[in-house]
Amino acid sequence: MTDGAAIEVRDLAKRYEPAGVEALRGVSFEVGQGEIFGFLGRNGAGKSTTVRILTTLLRPSGGSAHVLGTDVTAEPAKVRHVLGVALQDAALDELMTGREHLVLASRLSGASAKAAGRKAADLLEVFGLTGAGDRIAARYSGGMRRRLDVAMALVRDPQVLFLDEPTTGLDPQSRRALWELIRRQQEQGTTVFLTTQYLAEADELAERVAIVHAGTVAAMGTPTALKERYGATTVRLRVAGADAVDRVKGATGVDPVTTAGDGRLVLNVTGGDAAVPALLGRLATLGPAIERIEVRSATLEDVFVALTGSEIEAGAGSADNTSLTGVRRGIGVPSGSNR
Amino acid sequence: MTGSFAQVRLLLARNLREGLRNPVLAYALPIVIPLTMMVLVAKTLSVVTRLPGFPTTNYAEWMTPAIIMLTAMTGVGYAATSLVIDIQSGFLDRLRLLNAKPSSLLLSRLLFDVVRVLPAGATLLVVGVLLGTHVNEGVVGIVGLFALLILWAAAYGGLYFVVALTTRNAQAPLALAPLFLPLQFLSTQFVPRSLLPNWVQTASVWNPFTYMVDAARSLVTGPLELEPLAKAIAVGVGVLIVTQLAARRSFARAVDAV
Repeated sequence: MTDGAAIEVRDLAKRYEPAGVEALRGVSFEVGQGEIFGFLGRNGAGKSTTVRILTTLLRPSGGSAHVLGTDVTAEPAKVRHVLGVALQDAALDELMTGREHLVLASRLSGASAKAAGRKAADLLEVFGLTGAGDRIAARYSGGMRRRLDVAMALVRDPQVLFLDEPTTGLDPQSRRALWELIRRQQEQGTTVFLTTQYLAEADELAERVAIVHAGTVAAMGTPTALKERYGATTVRLRVAGADAVDRVKGATGVDPVTTAGDGRLVLNVTGGDAAVPALLGRLATLGPAIERIEVRSATLEDVFVALTGSEIEAGAGSADNTSLTGVRRGIGVPSGSNR
Repeated sequence: MTGSFAQVRLLLARNLREGLRNPVLAYALPIVIPLTMMVLVAKTLSVVTRLPGFPTTNYAEWMTPAIIMLTAMTGVGYAATSLVIDIQSGFLDRLRLLNAKPSSLLLSRLLFDVVRVLPAGATLLVVGVLLGTHVNEGVVGIVGLFALLILWAAAYGGLYFVVALTTRNAQAPLALAPLFLPLQFLSTQFVPRSLLPNWVQTASVWNPFTYMVDAARSLVTGPLELEPLAKAIAVGVGVLIVTQLAARRSFARAVDAV
């Protein structure tokens, strides 16, 4: 295996019997130590199955998986020692308080009553749960449950942290707070394996991502590389006048790909974001005829659509995602400006 | 990682604390059925003591040891349901990821069921004494009675784990609750063996509860004899081993990586 890999997965396959559902059909990837790795896919793509295998809770039907060099099927107990895991649904005991959850986890990991109490207090503080620490989990809001769940995963200062859709159902503010905590863990040297169906979340956090589709890895790489390869930067603009298409083409040398008939045009930028300023410079010659202009970088959503043929949210029925719709930069052109 | 003993202690503490947050269901409910039986049956059927060959004139005294053993059967089951809820909520996965041993998880739940039965047994003993039961064998008899109650609760409670873990349905153990009815009627709980119809006499020989009832009477009202005690311990341990082996197997299937 490669030196320094925190997670190494080779041809991992999982077939659920007796239904014969093939959840994974040969998944391979590596995650470096200290890396945040995003594992993206729609519901049912195989994300949770992969997490359950890597965390020793599920046995693969084929292939192999190592965490910090240890085979997850051969030595599950050894693997568990280095893991922190927050599974898809916050796994809490409704009748236990937040503090009791953390103390129990800490003591089962071998801490003394005193050390466990300290650890619990620290984690409650970090996760903003100090005030709710002595309330039972049944009285927690969705966001608080999530935070407690992730706090439980950190009880033994894990070397490898698995977070299965940690921000699903969270409001934008809680989501950002959790991102901050995940980054802080990484700064302390923890490897983070993050599954999500929020592509902007992966874009924001992950150094590398794998896109899973129907049990296989459809693409893998840094978000930037994937966007350059599978997506395109576009300039969307509305230009006054009947001959807008010809004038834009004349000014830029680029064929507008979409015309909605009301002067709205889309230009695909070849050469990525770097080519945008030059293109805008050429468009500037059109002057006040430009009523509206927007530069839109490629998003992982574009990559996802290009690879799987449909949007990630299709049928997911998930929470409001508007705060995450990719990197948009609107460039207002003052109507009175001319050259 | 912590040792098995420490794990069981931590997990049992968790179960007991949870019970305190749900005290009616956890600790009071096991008392309801035996107490109702005790008061109603002892009072409404007291004429049976006039039957020739009936060993006592106070029916409550005849019923007290048997009803105390009955609390073991009406009191267990809560723990099995809680275990299935842990499986369904994913909390059990979390405990497994913390390297909690399956045997520790199972034992801590079983012990909770046993603890849960004790207040019920003590309440029924007090009620029995108030209704005129003579505790002829004194402290030794009472200690022995509670030891037997613990054994029978653990043995019988195993059945609930098998059903809960095989079906993985938190409600399934409820279906097992009425089993105590045939077990008590096909035993020597209500009348001495000699007054049972022939076929019931035969059935009672094969009914483990008969041995618990006979030994409990020997321990409370006396005379204290070795034979019923030895038989009860043998039967209790036998049932315990069978139900625990089955429960462990179903538990392994329910939690092991597949």
